[in-house]
Amino acid sequence: MSQTRDSQFPSDQRFSGGSLEYLEIECTEKVGGDYYRQIVIDVLQDLDLFRVIAKLHICIDPAVPVFVAAGVSKKAPQPVRLRDFASLNVREEDTIISIGDETHLAALLKILWDRFGAGHVDQPDRFTVVLTIAPPDAEGLEDLVIAHPGESISRDIIYALQVIAPEGFKVRRQYVAFDDRADTGRESGNRTLNERCFYYVASEDTLPEDVVSKVVAARFALMGVEM
Amino acid sequence: MTLVPVTYTGGIYRHDEIIDLIEDLGGYIIQKHVIAQEVVLQCLVPDEDIPLIQKIAKPLTGAVKPAPLVGTEIAVVSPSLEYHHLPHTSCDVAEYLRRSGAKTNMVGLSRGFGKRIANLSIEERDIINEHDLAIYVLGNFAECIGHKLPVLRRGVTVPVVVTGAPDREALMEVTEPPAEGYVGGIGRIMHRWRRPEELEKLDELVGEVAHVLDRRREEIADDPLSVSPARLMEMIMDHLPSLHGSTHPTPVTVQIAGLRVKLPYDESADAIRGIECDEGASVGEICDLIPSRMRNYIWIRIKPYSETGIMV
Repeated sequence: MSQTRDSQFPSDQRFSGGSLEYLEIECTEKVGGDYYRQIVIDVLQDLDLFRVIAKLHICIDPAVPVFVAAGVSKKAPQPVRLRDFASLNVREEDTIISIGDETHLAALLKILWDRFGAGHVDQPDRFTVVLTIAPPDAEGLEDLVIAHPGESISRDIIYALQVIAPEGFKVRRQYVAFDDRADTGRESGNRTLNERCFYYVASEDTLPEDVVSKVVAARFALMGVEM
Repeated sequence: MTLVPVTYTGGIYRHDEIIDLIEDLGGYIIQKHVIAQEVVLQCLVPDEDIPLIQKIAKPLTGAVKPAPLVGTEIAVVSPSLEYHHLPHTSCDVAEYLRRSGAKTNMVGLSRGFGKRIANLSIEERDIINEHDLAIYVLGNFAECIGHKLPVLRRGVTVPVVVTGAPDREALMEVTEPPAEGYVGGIGRIMHRWRRPEELEKLDELVGEVAHVLDRRREEIADDPLSVSPARLMEMIMDHLPSLHGSTHPTPVTVQIAGLRVKLPYDESADAIRGIECDEGASVGEICDLIPSRMRNYIWIRIKPYSETGIMV
Protein backbone atom coordinates (compact mmCIF):
# COMPACT_ATOMS: atom_id res chain seq x y z
CA MET A 1 0.00 0.00 0.00
CA SER A 2 1.23 3.47 -0.78
CA GLN A 3 1.20 5.93 2.04
CA THR A 4 -0.39 9.34 2.03
CA ARG A 5 1.61 11.65 4.21
CA ASP A 6 0.82 15.04 2.71
CA SER A 7 -2.54 16.30 3.77
CA GLN A 8 -4.43 18.63 1.44
CA PHE A 9 -5.79 20.39 4.49
CA PRO A 10 -4.06 23.46 5.93
CA SER A 11 -1.63 22.84 8.76
CA ASP A 12 -3.29 25.06 11.35
CA GLN A 13 -3.89 24.00 14.95
CA ARG A 14 -7.19 22.33 14.16
CA PHE A 15 -5.68 20.04 11.57
CA SER A 16 -2.31 19.36 13.12
CA GLY A 17 -3.37 16.15 14.83
CA GLY A 18 -3.75 17.67 18.29
CA SER A 19 -1.44 16.09 20.81
CA LEU A 20 -1.05 12.73 19.10
CA GLU A 21 2.57 11.60 19.07
CA TYR A 22 1.98 9.60 15.92
CA LEU A 23 -0.83 9.64 13.39
CA GLU A 24 -0.44 7.82 10.12
CA ILE A 25 -3.09 7.15 7.49
CA GLU A 26 -2.17 4.48 5.01
CA CYS A 27 -4.50 4.29 2.05
CA THR A 28 -4.47 3.10 -1.54
CA GLU A 29 -6.31 6.24 -2.68
CA LYS A 30 -4.53 9.49 -1.88
CA VAL A 31 -7.61 11.73 -1.81
CA GLY A 32 -9.52 9.27 0.37
CA GLY A 33 -6.53 9.04 2.73
CA ASP A 34 -6.42 12.81 3.12
CA TYR A 35 -10.10 12.87 3.96
CA TYR A 36 -9.63 10.11 6.50
CA ARG A 37 -6.91 12.10 8.26
CA GLN A 38 -9.44 14.88 8.63
CA ILE A 39 -12.14 12.48 9.84
CA VAL A 40 -9.79 11.02 12.47
CA ILE A 41 -8.90 14.46 13.78
CA ASP A 42 -12.53 15.61 13.87
CA VAL A 43 -13.77 12.50 15.65
CA LEU A 44 -10.98 12.40 18.23
CA GLN A 45 -11.51 16.09 18.88
CA ASP A 46 -15.30 15.73 19.23
CA LEU A 47 -14.93 12.84 21.66
CA ASP A 48 -12.05 14.48 23.52
CA LEU A 49 -9.76 11.52 22.94
CA PHE A 50 -6.54 13.38 22.14
CA ARG A 51 -5.73 13.21 25.84
CA VAL A 52 -6.21 9.43 25.80
CA ILE A 53 -4.59 8.21 22.58
CA ALA A 54 -0.84 8.50 22.05
CA LYS A 55 -0.33 6.75 18.73
CA LEU A 56 -2.71 5.78 15.95
CA HIS A 57 -2.04 4.05 12.67
CA ILE A 58 -4.92 3.61 10.27
CA CYS A 59 -4.77 1.52 7.14
CA ILE A 60 -7.61 1.43 4.59
CA ASP A 61 -7.82 -0.56 1.40
CA PRO A 62 -11.24 -0.12 -0.23
CA ALA A 63 -10.42 -2.74 -2.86
CA VAL A 64 -10.26 -5.61 -0.33
CA PRO A 65 -12.20 -3.94 1.47
CA VAL A 66 -10.65 -3.61 4.92
CA PHE A 67 -10.17 -0.96 7.58
CA VAL A 68 -7.47 -1.45 10.20
CA ALA A 69 -6.79 0.87 13.13
CA ALA A 70 -3.99 0.10 15.55
CA GLY A 71 -3.02 2.38 18.39
CA VAL A 72 -1.48 2.90 21.76
CA SER A 73 -3.13 4.81 24.57
CA LYS A 74 -1.42 7.19 26.93
CA LYS A 75 -1.04 6.11 30.55
CA ALA A 76 -4.24 4.24 31.31
CA PRO A 77 -6.17 5.48 34.34
CA GLN A 78 -6.13 3.44 37.55
CA PRO A 79 -9.28 1.93 39.03
CA VAL A 80 -10.95 4.33 41.47
CA ARG A 81 -10.82 2.98 45.05
CA LEU A 82 -12.74 4.17 48.08
CA ARG A 83 -9.66 5.75 49.65
CA ASP A 84 -9.21 7.97 46.56
CA PHE A 85 -12.24 10.08 47.36
CA ALA A 86 -13.33 9.29 50.95
CA SER A 87 -11.94 8.68 54.43
CA LEU A 88 -13.01 5.94 56.85
CA ASN A 89 -13.60 6.10 60.59
CA VAL A 90 -14.06 2.57 61.94
CA ARG A 91 -15.76 2.51 65.37
CA GLU A 92 -17.04 -0.26 67.59
CA GLU A 93 -20.71 0.17 66.73
CA ASP A 94 -20.44 1.60 63.21
CA THR A 95 -18.14 2.83 60.39
CA ILE A 96 -18.40 6.38 59.09
CA ILE A 97 -17.39 7.18 55.48
CA SER A 98 -16.73 10.89 54.83
CA ILE A 99 -17.02 11.66 51.14
CA GLY A 100 -14.67 14.22 49.60
CA ASP A 101 -15.82 14.02 45.98
CA GLU A 102 -19.38 13.07 45.08
CA THR A 103 -18.55 11.88 41.54
CA HIS A 104 -18.54 8.21 42.47
CA LEU A 105 -21.05 8.38 45.33
CA ALA A 106 -23.89 6.69 43.45
CA ALA A 107 -21.66 3.78 42.44
CA LEU A 108 -20.34 3.52 46.00
CA LEU A 109 -23.84 3.35 47.52
CA LYS A 110 -24.88 0.65 45.08
CA ILE A 111 -21.83 -1.45 46.01
CA LEU A 112 -22.44 -0.93 49.75
CA TRP A 113 -26.12 -1.89 49.44
CA ASP A 114 -25.17 -5.05 47.57
CA ARG A 115 -22.51 -5.93 50.10
CA PHE A 116 -24.09 -5.03 53.44
CA GLY A 117 -27.78 -4.62 52.61
CA ALA A 118 -29.65 -1.31 52.43
CA GLY A 119 -30.69 -1.63 56.10
CA HIS A 120 -27.06 -1.26 57.21
CA VAL A 121 -26.26 1.71 54.98
CA ASP A 122 -27.48 5.11 56.12
CA GLN A 123 -26.74 8.51 54.56
CA PRO A 124 -27.58 11.25 57.09
CA ASP A 125 -26.24 14.00 54.82
CA ARG A 126 -24.71 14.49 51.39
CA PHE A 127 -21.12 13.83 52.43
CA THR A 128 -21.57 11.13 55.07
CA VAL A 129 -22.39 7.45 54.83
CA VAL A 130 -22.82 5.46 58.04
CA LEU A 131 -22.44 1.67 57.94
CA THR A 132 -23.82 -0.22 60.92
CA ILE A 133 -21.35 -3.07 60.64
CA ALA A 134 -18.85 -4.71 62.95
CA PRO A 135 -15.17 -3.61 62.68
CA PRO A 136 -14.00 -6.90 61.11
CA ASP A 137 -16.49 -6.37 58.24
CA ALA A 138 -14.93 -2.97 57.52
CA GLU A 139 -11.52 -4.47 56.93
CA GLY A 140 -10.14 -3.74 53.48
CA LEU A 141 -13.00 -1.37 52.74
CA GLU A 142 -10.58 1.42 51.82
CA ASP A 143 -9.25 -0.63 48.90
CA LEU A 144 -12.70 -1.34 47.52
CA VAL A 145 -12.75 -0.67 43.76
CA ILE A 146 -15.65 1.65 42.97
CA ALA A 147 -15.17 2.51 39.28
CA HIS A 148 -13.10 1.43 36.29
CA PRO A 149 -12.33 4.48 34.15
CA GLY A 150 -10.35 2.21 31.84
CA GLU A 151 -13.59 0.48 30.93
CA SER A 152 -15.33 3.66 29.77
CA ILE A 153 -12.19 4.83 27.96
CA SER A 154 -12.04 1.51 26.17
CA ARG A 155 -15.68 1.96 25.19
CA ASP A 156 -14.98 5.51 23.97
CA ILE A 157 -12.04 4.38 21.86
CA ILE A 158 -14.03 1.62 20.21
CA TYR A 159 -16.95 4.00 19.63
CA ALA A 160 -14.59 6.54 18.03
CA LEU A 161 -13.14 3.87 15.74
CA GLN A 162 -16.63 2.74 14.77
CA VAL A 163 -17.43 6.31 13.76
CA ILE A 164 -14.15 6.70 11.88
CA ALA A 165 -14.45 3.38 10.01
CA PRO A 166 -16.57 3.24 6.86
CA GLU A 167 -20.15 2.58 7.90
CA GLY A 168 -20.80 -0.51 5.83
CA PHE A 169 -17.95 -2.45 7.40
CA LYS A 170 -20.10 -4.41 9.81
CA VAL A 171 -17.83 -7.41 10.32
CA ARG A 172 -15.31 -6.31 12.91
CA ARG A 173 -12.77 -7.48 15.38
CA GLN A 174 -11.70 -5.26 18.22
CA TYR A 175 -9.34 -5.45 21.17
CA VAL A 176 -8.38 -3.07 23.96
CA ALA A 177 -5.57 -4.41 26.17
CA PHE A 178 -6.39 -2.23 29.18
CA ASP A 179 -10.12 -2.88 29.29
CA ASP A 180 -10.60 -3.56 33.01
CA ARG A 181 -13.45 -5.93 32.30
CA ALA A 182 -10.73 -8.35 31.22
CA ASP A 183 -8.34 -7.22 33.95
CA THR A 184 -5.82 -9.60 35.41
CA GLY A 185 -5.42 -7.61 38.59
CA ARG A 186 -2.52 -5.41 37.53
CA GLU A 187 -2.64 -1.70 38.36
CA SER A 188 -3.67 0.01 35.11
CA GLY A 189 -1.30 2.92 35.52
CA ASN A 190 1.77 0.72 35.53
CA ARG A 191 1.06 -0.97 32.26
CA THR A 192 3.83 -1.54 29.77
CA LEU A 193 3.63 -0.25 26.22
CA ASN A 194 2.07 -3.35 24.73
CA GLU A 195 -0.48 -3.42 27.54
CA ARG A 196 -1.78 -0.07 26.32
CA CYS A 197 -2.47 -1.30 22.78
CA PHE A 198 -5.79 -1.42 21.04
CA TYR A 199 -6.84 -2.37 17.55
CA TYR A 200 -9.97 -2.41 15.44
CA VAL A 201 -10.31 -4.26 12.17
CA ALA A 202 -13.46 -4.02 10.06
CA SER A 203 -14.67 -5.22 6.70
CA GLU A 204 -17.77 -6.15 4.77
CA ASP A 205 -16.51 -9.68 4.39
CA THR A 206 -15.34 -12.28 6.86
CA LEU A 207 -12.04 -11.57 8.60
CA PRO A 208 -9.73 -14.60 8.89
CA GLU A 209 -8.00 -14.64 12.29
CA ASP A 210 -4.47 -15.12 10.92
CA VAL A 211 -4.85 -12.26 8.42
CA VAL A 212 -6.05 -9.95 11.18
CA SER A 213 -3.17 -10.77 13.48
CA LYS A 214 -0.63 -10.43 10.67
CA VAL A 215 -1.97 -7.09 9.43
CA VAL A 216 -2.35 -5.68 12.94
CA ALA A 217 1.12 -6.85 14.06
CA ALA A 218 2.66 -5.19 11.00
CA ARG A 219 0.97 -1.88 11.88
CA PHE A 220 2.14 -2.07 15.49
CA ALA A 221 5.67 -2.80 14.24
CA LEU A 222 5.55 0.44 12.23
CA MET A 223 4.77 2.28 15.48
CA GLY A 224 7.64 0.52 17.26
CA VAL A 225 5.34 -1.56 19.44
CA GLU A 226 5.44 -5.32 19.82
CA MET A 227 2.07 -6.98 20.29
CA MET B 1 -43.20 37.36 -19.97
CA THR B 2 -40.33 35.28 -18.61
CA LEU B 3 -40.53 34.39 -14.95
CA VAL B 4 -37.19 34.16 -13.20
CA PRO B 5 -36.55 32.56 -9.79
CA VAL B 6 -35.43 35.02 -7.10
CA THR B 7 -35.24 35.27 -3.33
CA TYR B 8 -36.44 38.42 -1.59
CA THR B 9 -34.96 38.98 1.87
CA GLY B 10 -36.13 41.81 4.06
CA GLY B 11 -37.74 42.91 7.27
CA ILE B 12 -41.21 41.83 8.27
CA TYR B 13 -42.37 45.47 8.31
CA ARG B 14 -44.48 46.22 5.19
CA HIS B 15 -43.41 43.00 3.50
CA ASP B 16 -47.03 42.50 2.43
CA GLU B 17 -46.51 45.37 -0.01
CA ILE B 18 -43.81 43.34 -1.72
CA ILE B 19 -46.06 40.28 -1.84
CA ASP B 20 -48.86 42.35 -3.40
CA LEU B 21 -46.42 43.86 -5.88
CA ILE B 22 -45.10 40.47 -7.01
CA GLU B 23 -48.62 39.11 -7.41
CA ASP B 24 -49.79 42.25 -9.29
CA LEU B 25 -46.86 41.90 -11.67
CA GLY B 26 -47.93 38.35 -12.46
CA GLY B 27 -45.32 36.61 -10.33
CA TYR B 28 -45.81 33.81 -7.81
CA ILE B 29 -44.75 33.39 -4.20
CA ILE B 30 -43.53 29.81 -3.98
CA GLN B 31 -42.58 29.86 -0.31
CA LYS B 32 -42.61 32.39 2.51
CA HIS B 33 -40.41 32.05 5.58
CA VAL B 34 -40.83 34.33 8.55
CA ILE B 35 -37.81 34.05 10.83
CA ALA B 36 -38.11 36.39 13.83
CA GLN B 37 -38.08 39.88 12.26
CA GLU B 38 -36.96 38.68 8.83
CA VAL B 39 -38.94 37.51 5.85
CA VAL B 40 -37.58 35.35 3.05
CA LEU B 41 -39.72 34.98 -0.05
CA GLN B 42 -38.89 32.40 -2.67
CA CYS B 43 -40.64 33.65 -5.76
CA LEU B 44 -40.91 33.65 -9.52
CA VAL B 45 -41.08 37.18 -10.90
CA PRO B 46 -41.14 38.70 -14.42
CA ASP B 47 -37.58 39.31 -15.60
CA GLU B 48 -38.20 42.91 -16.68
CA ASP B 49 -39.79 43.88 -13.35
CA ILE B 50 -36.85 43.00 -11.09
CA PRO B 51 -35.52 46.61 -11.09
CA LEU B 52 -38.98 47.83 -10.03
CA ILE B 53 -39.12 45.36 -7.13
CA GLN B 54 -35.61 46.39 -6.10
CA LYS B 55 -36.62 50.06 -6.21
CA ILE B 56 -39.68 49.51 -4.03
CA ALA B 57 -37.77 47.19 -1.67
CA LYS B 58 -34.91 49.66 -1.14
CA PRO B 59 -36.60 51.86 1.50
CA LEU B 60 -37.64 48.63 3.29
CA THR B 61 -33.99 47.46 3.22
CA GLY B 62 -35.07 44.42 1.24
CA ALA B 63 -32.80 42.68 -1.23
CA VAL B 64 -33.59 40.65 -4.33
CA LYS B 65 -31.11 37.95 -5.28
CA PRO B 66 -31.20 35.36 -8.04
CA ALA B 67 -32.05 31.92 -6.67
CA PRO B 68 -31.67 29.42 -9.50
CA LEU B 69 -33.32 26.53 -7.69
CA VAL B 70 -36.65 28.13 -6.74
CA GLY B 71 -39.52 25.95 -7.88
CA THR B 72 -37.61 22.68 -7.74
CA GLU B 73 -37.81 19.74 -5.38
CA ILE B 74 -34.53 17.90 -4.92
CA ALA B 75 -33.78 14.61 -3.20
CA VAL B 76 -30.53 14.54 -1.24
CA VAL B 77 -29.77 10.84 -1.11
CA SER B 78 -27.62 9.74 1.80
CA PRO B 79 -26.37 6.14 2.09
CA SER B 80 -27.86 5.98 5.59
CA LEU B 81 -29.06 8.18 8.43
CA GLU B 82 -26.13 7.20 10.65
CA TYR B 83 -23.67 9.58 12.28
CA HIS B 84 -21.25 8.84 9.43
CA HIS B 85 -23.33 10.88 6.99
CA LEU B 86 -25.40 13.19 9.18
CA PRO B 87 -25.53 16.00 10.08
CA HIS B 88 -22.43 16.56 7.95
CA THR B 89 -22.23 16.15 4.96
CA SER B 90 -25.78 15.44 3.83
CA CYS B 91 -27.55 18.07 5.95
CA ASP B 92 -25.00 20.73 5.03
CA VAL B 93 -25.63 20.02 1.35
CA ALA B 94 -29.42 20.01 1.81
CA GLU B 95 -29.37 23.22 3.82
CA TYR B 96 -27.16 25.04 1.32
CA LEU B 97 -29.42 24.09 -1.56
CA ARG B 98 -32.38 25.50 0.36
CA ARG B 99 -30.61 28.84 0.47
CA SER B 100 -30.66 28.80 -3.32
CA GLY B 101 -34.39 28.26 -3.27
CA ALA B 102 -34.71 24.48 -3.68
CA LYS B 103 -37.07 22.41 -1.61
CA THR B 104 -34.82 19.59 -0.52
CA ASN B 105 -35.85 16.29 0.99
CA MET B 106 -33.34 13.99 2.64
CA VAL B 107 -33.67 10.41 1.49
CA GLY B 108 -31.72 8.27 3.95
CA LEU B 109 -31.40 4.83 2.46
CA SER B 110 -31.95 1.90 4.76
CA ARG B 111 -29.08 -0.12 3.27
CA GLY B 112 -27.12 2.28 1.10
CA PHE B 113 -23.85 1.98 3.02
CA GLY B 114 -20.91 -0.25 2.22
CA LYS B 115 -19.42 -1.34 -1.08
CA ARG B 116 -20.68 -4.82 -1.94
CA ILE B 117 -23.68 -4.74 0.41
CA ALA B 118 -25.18 -1.40 -0.76
CA ASN B 119 -28.80 -1.65 -1.81
CA LEU B 120 -31.80 0.44 -2.87
CA SER B 121 -35.35 -0.59 -1.99
CA ILE B 122 -38.32 -0.16 -4.31
CA GLU B 123 -39.91 2.39 -1.98
CA GLU B 124 -36.70 4.43 -1.89
CA ARG B 125 -36.45 4.28 -5.69
CA ASP B 126 -40.05 5.46 -6.11
CA ILE B 127 -39.60 8.32 -3.65
CA ILE B 128 -36.43 9.49 -5.44
CA ASN B 129 -38.29 9.35 -8.76
CA GLU B 130 -40.90 11.78 -7.45
CA HIS B 131 -38.29 14.56 -7.36
CA ASP B 132 -36.84 16.80 -10.05
CA LEU B 133 -33.29 15.68 -9.37
CA ALA B 134 -31.38 13.45 -6.98
CA ILE B 135 -28.03 14.30 -5.43
CA TYR B 136 -26.10 11.23 -4.31
CA VAL B 137 -23.88 12.31 -1.45
CA LEU B 138 -21.24 9.60 -1.54
CA GLY B 139 -17.98 9.01 0.26
CA ASN B 140 -14.24 9.11 -0.03
CA PHE B 141 -13.21 6.26 -2.30
CA ALA B 142 -13.56 6.08 -6.08
CA GLU B 143 -13.34 2.30 -5.78
CA CYS B 144 -16.48 2.15 -3.59
CA ILE B 145 -18.40 4.81 -5.52
CA GLY B 146 -17.84 2.98 -8.82
CA HIS B 147 -18.98 -0.27 -7.25
CA LYS B 148 -22.11 0.90 -5.45
CA LEU B 149 -23.46 3.72 -7.64
CA PRO B 150 -24.99 1.44 -10.32
CA VAL B 151 -26.91 -0.33 -7.56
CA LEU B 152 -28.07 2.89 -5.90
CA ARG B 153 -29.23 4.27 -9.28
CA ARG B 154 -31.08 1.16 -10.39
CA GLY B 155 -34.50 2.24 -11.67
CA VAL B 156 -33.93 5.92 -10.90
CA THR B 157 -35.25 7.96 -13.82
CA VAL B 158 -34.62 11.50 -12.61
CA PRO B 159 -31.32 13.29 -13.34
CA VAL B 160 -28.57 12.35 -10.88
CA VAL B 161 -25.74 14.52 -9.56
CA VAL B 162 -22.96 12.56 -7.89
CA THR B 163 -20.73 14.02 -5.19
CA GLY B 164 -17.73 12.40 -3.57
CA ALA B 165 -14.21 13.06 -2.37
CA PRO B 166 -12.42 12.11 -5.62
CA ASP B 167 -12.15 14.91 -8.16
CA ARG B 168 -14.68 15.38 -10.92
CA GLU B 169 -12.64 13.50 -13.53
CA ALA B 170 -12.16 10.50 -11.22
CA LEU B 171 -15.89 10.42 -10.50
CA MET B 172 -16.69 10.54 -14.22
CA GLU B 173 -14.28 7.70 -14.85
CA VAL B 174 -15.90 5.33 -12.36
CA THR B 175 -19.53 6.18 -13.22
CA GLU B 176 -21.10 3.91 -15.80
CA PRO B 177 -23.55 4.89 -17.27
CA PRO B 178 -22.60 8.56 -16.88
CA ALA B 179 -24.53 10.68 -14.40
CA GLU B 180 -25.96 14.05 -15.37
CA GLY B 181 -23.68 15.99 -13.04
CA TYR B 182 -20.56 15.58 -10.89
CA VAL B 183 -19.00 17.56 -8.07
CA GLY B 184 -15.72 16.27 -6.69
CA GLY B 185 -14.13 17.28 -3.41
CA ILE B 186 -17.28 16.71 -1.34
CA GLY B 187 -16.40 13.64 0.67
CA ARG B 188 -17.22 12.39 4.13
CA ILE B 189 -16.52 15.35 6.38
CA MET B 190 -17.27 15.18 10.09
CA HIS B 191 -17.38 18.88 10.87
CA ARG B 192 -19.68 21.68 9.85
CA TRP B 193 -18.84 23.12 6.46
CA ARG B 194 -17.75 26.67 7.03
CA ARG B 195 -14.24 27.00 5.59
CA PRO B 196 -14.11 29.09 2.39
CA GLU B 197 -12.89 26.18 0.24
CA GLU B 198 -15.73 24.01 1.55
CA LEU B 199 -18.34 26.69 0.83
CA GLU B 200 -16.85 27.07 -2.65
CA LYS B 201 -17.56 23.40 -3.21
CA LEU B 202 -21.18 23.91 -2.15
CA ASP B 203 -21.47 26.84 -4.57
CA GLU B 204 -20.07 24.58 -7.26
CA LEU B 205 -22.74 22.01 -6.38
CA VAL B 206 -25.51 24.62 -6.66
CA GLY B 207 -24.11 25.63 -10.07
CA GLU B 208 -24.00 22.02 -11.24
CA VAL B 209 -27.54 21.31 -10.05
CA ALA B 210 -28.82 24.51 -11.70
CA HIS B 211 -27.05 23.50 -14.91
CA VAL B 212 -28.64 20.04 -14.92
CA LEU B 213 -32.07 21.50 -14.16
CA ASP B 214 -31.67 24.07 -16.93
CA ARG B 215 -31.23 21.21 -19.38
CA ARG B 216 -34.43 19.68 -18.01
CA ARG B 217 -36.23 23.02 -18.37
CA GLU B 218 -35.05 23.25 -21.97
CA GLU B 219 -36.49 19.80 -22.66
CA ILE B 220 -39.80 20.91 -21.19
CA ALA B 221 -39.72 24.13 -23.24
CA ASP B 222 -39.70 22.03 -26.43
CA ASP B 223 -43.06 20.57 -25.40
CA PRO B 224 -44.50 23.06 -22.90
CA LEU B 225 -46.66 22.04 -19.97
CA SER B 226 -50.42 22.60 -20.12
CA VAL B 227 -50.16 24.85 -17.07
CA SER B 228 -47.27 26.39 -15.20
CA PRO B 229 -46.68 24.57 -11.86
CA ALA B 230 -46.69 27.88 -9.99
CA ARG B 231 -50.04 28.87 -11.48
CA LEU B 232 -51.49 25.46 -10.68
CA MET B 233 -50.26 25.90 -7.10
CA GLU B 234 -52.18 29.18 -6.83
CA MET B 235 -55.33 27.62 -8.24
CA ILE B 236 -55.18 24.76 -5.75
CA MET B 237 -54.44 27.10 -2.84
CA ASP B 238 -57.45 29.25 -3.84
CA HIS B 239 -59.83 26.31 -4.01
CA LEU B 240 -58.73 24.31 -0.99
CA PRO B 241 -58.86 26.55 2.11
CA SER B 242 -57.71 23.66 4.32
CA LEU B 243 -54.20 24.12 2.88
CA HIS B 244 -53.96 27.56 4.48
CA GLY B 245 -54.21 26.00 7.92
CA SER B 246 -51.53 23.42 7.15
CA THR B 247 -48.45 23.42 9.35
CA HIS B 248 -46.20 22.23 6.52
CA PRO B 249 -43.62 24.82 5.42
CA THR B 250 -44.74 24.18 1.84
CA PRO B 251 -48.26 22.68 1.83
CA VAL B 252 -48.02 22.68 -1.96
CA THR B 253 -44.48 22.03 -3.17
CA VAL B 254 -43.67 23.26 -6.64
CA GLN B 255 -41.63 21.06 -8.94
CA ILE B 256 -40.39 21.69 -12.47
CA ALA B 257 -43.22 19.74 -14.05
CA GLY B 258 -45.57 19.04 -11.21
CA LEU B 259 -46.62 19.60 -7.64
CA ARG B 260 -46.73 17.73 -4.37
CA VAL B 261 -49.89 18.53 -2.43
CA LYS B 262 -49.62 17.63 1.24
CA LEU B 263 -53.20 16.45 1.71
CA PRO B 264 -54.44 12.86 1.95
CA TYR B 265 -54.92 11.43 -1.53
CA ASP B 266 -58.11 9.51 -0.75
CA GLU B 267 -59.89 12.53 0.67
CA SER B 268 -58.67 15.35 -1.53
CA ALA B 269 -57.66 14.03 -4.97
CA ASP B 270 -61.14 14.25 -6.48
CA ALA B 271 -61.64 17.77 -5.17
CA ILE B 272 -58.40 18.82 -6.89
CA ARG B 273 -59.30 17.03 -10.12
CA GLY B 274 -62.57 18.96 -10.23
CA ILE B 275 -61.01 22.42 -9.94
CA GLU B 276 -61.97 24.45 -13.00
CA CYS B 277 -59.38 26.66 -14.65
CA ASP B 278 -60.31 30.06 -16.11
CA GLU B 279 -60.13 28.58 -19.60
CA GLY B 280 -62.77 25.96 -18.79
CA ALA B 281 -60.56 22.90 -18.47
CA SER B 282 -60.41 21.03 -15.19
CA VAL B 283 -57.24 20.11 -13.33
CA GLY B 284 -58.05 16.43 -13.89
CA GLU B 285 -57.85 16.97 -17.67
CA ILE B 286 -54.44 18.59 -17.71
CA CYS B 287 -52.75 16.66 -14.90
CA ASP B 288 -52.24 13.15 -13.60
CA LEU B 289 -52.96 12.89 -9.88
CA ILE B 290 -51.04 10.01 -8.35
CA PRO B 291 -50.81 8.78 -4.75
CA SER B 292 -47.34 9.81 -3.58
CA ARG B 293 -44.99 7.28 -1.99
CA MET B 294 -44.18 10.01 0.49
CA ARG B 295 -46.72 9.56 3.30
CA ASN B 296 -50.27 9.83 1.90
CA TYR B 297 -49.64 12.96 -0.16
CA ILE B 298 -50.80 13.68 -3.68
CA TRP B 299 -48.26 13.90 -6.46
CA ILE B 300 -49.43 15.87 -9.50
CA ARG B 301 -47.73 15.46 -12.86
CA ILE B 302 -48.70 18.14 -15.36
CA LYS B 303 -49.31 16.80 -18.85
CA PRO B 304 -47.60 18.50 -21.80
CA TYR B 305 -49.53 20.60 -24.30
CA SER B 306 -48.95 18.00 -26.99
CA GLU B 307 -51.00 15.51 -24.98
CA THR B 308 -53.90 17.70 -23.85
CA GLY B 309 -54.13 20.39 -26.53
CA ILE B 310 -54.99 22.78 -23.68
CA MET B 311 -52.85 25.69 -22.55
CA VAL B 312 -53.99 27.37 -19.34
